[in-house]
Amino acid sequence: MTTPTHMVELRDVCMQFEDKKVLDGCSLKVQPEERLVVMGQSGSGKSTLLRLILGILRANSGSIFFKQFQIAELSRRKLQRIRQHIGMVYQYSALLSSRTVRDNVALPLEELTDKSRAEIDKIIDEKLDLVGMKDSKDLLPDELSGGMRKRVALARALVLEPELLLLDEPSAGLDPVIASVIDELIISLSEKSKVTSITVTHEMESAFRIATRMAMLYQGKIIEEGEPEQFKQSKDPVVAQFISGSTEGPILEGSLDAITKK
Amino acid sequence: MANANPPVLVAQGVGHLSRNFLREVGGVFWFIINTFEETFERLQQGRVPFRAASFFRYTQRTGVDSVPLVGLVSFFLGLTMALLTGYQLQRFGTERLIPGLVAITFTRELGPLMTGIMLAARIGAAFTAELGTMQVSEEVEAIEAMGIGPLRFLVAPRMLALFFLMPCLSTVSNIAAVLASSLICKAYFSIAFPYFLDLVKDSLLIRDIITGILKSFLFGLLIAAIACYRGLTVKGGAAGVGTSTTSSVVTAITTVIGFDTLYNVIYTTFYPT
Repeated sequence: MTTPTHMVELRDVCMQFEDKKVLDGCSLKVQPEERLVVMGQSGSGKSTLLRLILGILRANSGSIFFKQFQIAELSRRKLQRIRQHIGMVYQYSALLSSRTVRDNVALPLEELTDKSRAEIDKIIDEKLDLVGMKDSKDLLPDELSGGMRKRVALARALVLEPELLLLDEPSAGLDPVIASVIDELIISLSEKSKVTSITVTHEMESAFRIATRMAMLYQGKIIEEGEPEQFKQSKDPVVAQFISGSTEGPILEGSLDAITKK
Repeated sequence: MANANPPVLVAQGVGHLSRNFLREVGGVFWFIINTFEETFERLQQGRVPFRAASFFRYTQRTGVDSVPLVGLVSFFLGLTMALLTGYQLQRFGTERLIPGLVAITFTRELGPLMTGIMLAARIGAAFTAELGTMQVSEEVEAIEAMGIGPLRFLVAPRMLALFFLMPCLSTVSNIAAVLASSLICKAYFSIAFPYFLDLVKDSLLIRDIITGILKSFLFGLLIAAIACYRGLTVKGGAAGVGTSTTSSVVTAITTVIGFDTLYNVIYTTFYPT
């Protein structure tokens, strides 16, 4: 088996939850410093893809590489070390609810580095400033709005200076203005810090704003990959229907009849 | 299945229950092993597995904050036990056996057992609900995704706190019960406190104390392991947290009583007197 030169590579990955096949021979390559957006319907396996890259889930078959490391073959200790190079922003932020914003962002630094309290405070200030949350350091996650939580989650993901950033629906549930702020933040971070990012979303506006490259996940496979402009002119009926949001097309075939009959 | 033979159905049911039971036992066993492994791996890297502040926060919650409950319940139990056994023994003129009886019963048996039951309800439920909520809100996964071992970070300080605090709380329980029985002995059976203490000292063996302490360590470990295991394996949102919390308390109490019986059987087989 050849060792990949990409930041992330998925080779023929299959993943099944009980009877439901979520990924069925999914292959994908992510180049360093690119902002890849993976699109797909709800429940199509986009978040599963991110969890597989992180090694939180194990694929039924196929291989997943982060740089030269095959995720499934790593020991627990090695996997934990690899994860320190990957930042993850969850759909619902997943901030530790009993800790303040400061403590949430400080957690990876306190647990995984030997930095002094003063150094940690300096980094926290810098990262929270970057996401415009410096004044909310002492608040608990419950006291923050959805957009603010997302920004804190982003700061936490960036605190160890990761090489790869994984974003699960970063603008879902946010108003259009805050969604744009988050998108701009992702773009500026990736440009300034040269971070590679994989964003999964089904929000078209956000996807086209962030992406330098796009991929469409449908029925467990990547059916099309390319630059945003190429995607807009796609001849693939699934991609075209997904981008236009039309009810006519192959995506709802069968299920639309069931919906309209109700 | 409608035509299935009733004995076959019973056998299937028993098999299903046994399989689930063994799966749970195996799950908790590997959970404890993995927690130790993750903690020692961290120590091997020359790092502390968890912060001292985090450990002391749990010792405060499990230990210090549980003293009033454990003390009060044991005090009332000691009162009742001394009073009821006292009247029976008085009929034979052997009421001077009360101090030894209460002391031995609590030190060897009731102290660790009652403390175990109270902590399973008070602390076990709290641990399960806390970790279960973190699990359903993806907080545990986020910790794992950062490269932090969730077992050594979340479970180890809780487990260690309960492991070390259980014997201390059992001792509080023993002292409260003996104190209560001394009051009853003085008030109803005219046994003065110095004589009461002499009777306790004469009847209580070091072996009884060690037995109680060893049991307490074991119960502490079991309660914490079951509570944390149930919390981290929660499925099904808020309802799942509720179900797991109930199940955690029931399982922990049953396990504590089961292990207590097993311990006593083994102990009395090897040390019958």
